[in-house]
Amino acid sequence: MSESVQPGISAIPDGDSALRCEDLTKAFQGVRAVNGATFSVPKNQITALIGPNGAGKTTVVNILSGSMNCDSGSEHLGDTDVTNWESHRIARLGLMRTFQLSREFGGLTVLENMLVAPKDQAGESFFNLLFRPGIAKREEKLNVERALEVLRTYGLYALRDNRARELSGGQKKLLEISRAVMASPKILLLDEPMAGVNPALIERIGGYILDLKAQGVTVLMIEHNLNVVEKICDHVIVLAEGRTLATGRLSELRANKEVVKAYLGEVIDASTTN
Amino acid sequence: MRQKWGEVQVQLFWFAFGFGLVTASVLTIAAVGLSLQFGITNYINFAYGDFMALGAFITYVLNNELLHWNIWVALIGGSLAMGVLSVVLSQLILSPFARRFNKTFYVLIVTFGLSLILLNLMYSIWGANVRFYNVAINRALHIGPLLLTKNQLIIMAIAIVIMTGVHVLLKTTRLGKSMRAMSDNTTLAMTSGIDTRRITTITWFLSGTLAGLAGSVLGLTEGNLTPASGELFLFVIFAAVIVGGVGSIYGAMAGAVLIGLATEVSAAFINPAYKLDIAFIILILTLLFRPSGLFARPGKG
Amino acid sequence: MSAFWYYAFTLVFFLFDYFILAMGLNIQYGETGILNFAYIGFVAIGAYVTGAVSLPNSAGTGQHYILGWGLPFPINLLIGGLTASAFAVIVALITLRRLRTDYLAMVLISLSLVLYDVCINYVPLFNGADGLYNIPEPLAGVFKLTTNSFIPVFAVVTGVISMIMWFVMSRITRSPLGRTFRAIRDDDGVAAALGKNVFRYQLTSMLIGSFYAGIGGGLIIQFGGSFNPTAWLPGETFVVFAVIIVGGVGNNVGMLVGALLVETLLVHLPAFLPAIPGHAGLIEYIDAMVIGILLMVMLWFRPQGVVPEPIRRGGESPSKFSDRLFKSKSRTLTEAAKPAFVTTNEIEVGGTGHE
Repeated sequence: MSESVQPGISAIPDGDSALRCEDLTKAFQGVRAVNGATFSVPKNQITALIGPNGAGKTTVVNILSGSMNCDSGSEHLGDTDVTNWESHRIARLGLMRTFQLSREFGGLTVLENMLVAPKDQAGESFFNLLFRPGIAKREEKLNVERALEVLRTYGLYALRDNRARELSGGQKKLLEISRAVMASPKILLLDEPMAGVNPALIERIGGYILDLKAQGVTVLMIEHNLNVVEKICDHVIVLAEGRTLATGRLSELRANKEVVKAYLGEVIDASTTN
Repeated sequence: MRQKWGEVQVQLFWFAFGFGLVTASVLTIAAVGLSLQFGITNYINFAYGDFMALGAFITYVLNNELLHWNIWVALIGGSLAMGVLSVVLSQLILSPFARRFNKTFYVLIVTFGLSLILLNLMYSIWGANVRFYNVAINRALHIGPLLLTKNQLIIMAIAIVIMTGVHVLLKTTRLGKSMRAMSDNTTLAMTSGIDTRRITTITWFLSGTLAGLAGSVLGLTEGNLTPASGELFLFVIFAAVIVGGVGSIYGAMAGAVLIGLATEVSAAFINPAYKLDIAFIILILTLLFRPSGLFARPGKG
Repeated sequence: MSAFWYYAFTLVFFLFDYFILAMGLNIQYGETGILNFAYIGFVAIGAYVTGAVSLPNSAGTGQHYILGWGLPFPINLLIGGLTASAFAVIVALITLRRLRTDYLAMVLISLSLVLYDVCINYVPLFNGADGLYNIPEPLAGVFKLTTNSFIPVFAVVTGVISMIMWFVMSRITRSPLGRTFRAIRDDDGVAAALGKNVFRYQLTSMLIGSFYAGIGGGLIIQFGGSFNPTAWLPGETFVVFAVIIVGGVGNNVGMLVGALLVETLLVHLPAFLPAIPGHAGLIEYIDAMVIGILLMVMLWFRPQGVVPEPIRRGGESPSKFSDRLFKSKSRTLTEAAKPAFVTTNEIEVGGTGHE
């Protein structure tokens, strides 16, 4: 239930929520990094998670994706309670995430990185390798074809046989996203996808994210670049000091005094020149 | 007059308890040395057992081969010599490898390799024969229900001095505070102006000295030493460190006392050949039921 | 047969045997990133079980051991391999889930030492410090071999077995399973974030690798007819690590090269050198030090080994069949990939004030 009586936080009907969390808390050695995060991510929309540094955004994403446990609170994917599930189980339900500092499989080629992503590959079973090699081969062929298509889309086709650790920063970012896409996500958590990226690449990545929305993927992205947020995000969640401060459209939030005080006031953003 | 069955068991228990305190003393010295080093460098030195043995052999040389010093003086000499050697080995081999690769795999293999090299070096120099310290045999004294020799009491005293010394070092001195800061968060410590290289060197010196001390004292309690003595004891030290809670010095002390007592007391009731293996069983039980150990520090486990 | 051929075929045997052992450790460490410091313990289990299973019942033999079913080669070898695997499963269940790299290595090396200790002290298990001996010669009925001809024949048999195991291992490392192993080695957190059950894959890796360890050990006891604790001090694990690191981690051919360089040349050749009078065992000690130093030198100057891990090239252009299948999808993706929201003005404005 995401009934919220706090001002500035719009409630979203459960049926439209792809992912929601209630009252998440997490402390590290006595310091509360997350202190009551509650929000709902609407289905098939692009939602931004914004807030000042230290607000606990990455920690929340870590908890949501299962790489960390929360001390208290709950998380639901659709109707399923996934609180404190292990990350691979949450991933199998369709929630994929990327990392702020790209984490590619360095020793594998770009293409191999992509090929790791599909779930339940026949070729991953030792039994199949020994007794049913044909099935594994056929599935692998299809996966390779799909991977090459995605690589082409993201402009990485030419690098497909390079070891991933040799890629430039921007290329690694693209690999990070395209690999998550390869896993056929229903919900995609992006941790600062535009961080450290040049403006032209920002446009491209923004385009890819819009495409994903067009294909029915729900996107939640941590982002500091409010320009991007304004252009592609339908919904915004503001986190400050480990808890949800407000949610809604960016235009509404700009009018919210608390949000401005906590965050927006500190950021030079383009809209003030409008 | 025949003693009642129950009385014999109780007496055996207290004798074993006494031995347990002695083993715990040896373990404490060793475990604290290992813990200090691990806390600062963030990788386990798998050659630690061989550091112990090498220190013990240097003591042997000072005591029974070259110089014929009194055992306690030789012990100090051997420990300090091992401290210096430890610094040399860390500067020449371990730290360069640790800096070069960002995955701990590699330096762990290097410490494993160093272990092999040191062991065979000792075999080359001293052979596989058993050696003995030149120390007077003394009678056991009754201290309450315990039965201990003078040497054993001195060893226990040394352990207590070490424990207190380390505690004082960590809690009160600037060096100790810097060490604790580094152990918690190396990057933060570096940016706070702590000279991490100097602290690392000092830590290796302390760790090596404690290893040498522990090895020599082990040679005393066992009554003999061979180049492999340290290695064979290493897993007991690992058990003490893990059971006590990785990353915590006080955990290592607590683990050492627990394992020391448990192994000796159990030896009174089961075949003594397996008493060290009891430590392993305790380790497995801890892993199954309380994997973070008694006093775990978060972030290291 | 002259002494030269005797030595030569013994070297050949160990070359192929250590090739098998190297592959077993490689799938765990080189492919999956598991620091199995107890590896030699699994080799020993394979050796002891293979031997104990092929000996007749222990009563009256003068040795003490369990099992004693009198089974022939190669059944005893398979049982040895499977027992090592089963043991690996138990170890993995207790340790893999709960420990990260350093602690896992600590616990495993402790396991190795304890196994060693128990085997020496608990005589009814595998005859204690004396070890097992008088193992029935394998294939004795089949080939009618003399002591002299047994060595070359068994060396060849071992070679054949190693080739079969190489074929299987190759299939594994080239498959999606091998790829997932390597992904887990490179970054197990991301692998989990993509939905891989990391523990299950690590378990599978240890299971396969330990089987190879057991087979390798079983072949040793079959070749020599005996096996005792001096053969498997925990430091032996390091020799196998040296084989795979020098040869080339993550590369099956590298395993053969490593076995040649380290095992054959460094371990066994010196054993045939005359001993230095007055210094028993000195050659072995120096030999071990050389291996340790060689490994460090290798790790420093050429960590990828003599034969580095291959780059596995993948795709060709999609076939006509998949073109038809994926055509609609690809059009949507490619066309929609054009930036949908940016004009030149906004690029300039958006470019300032943001990193």
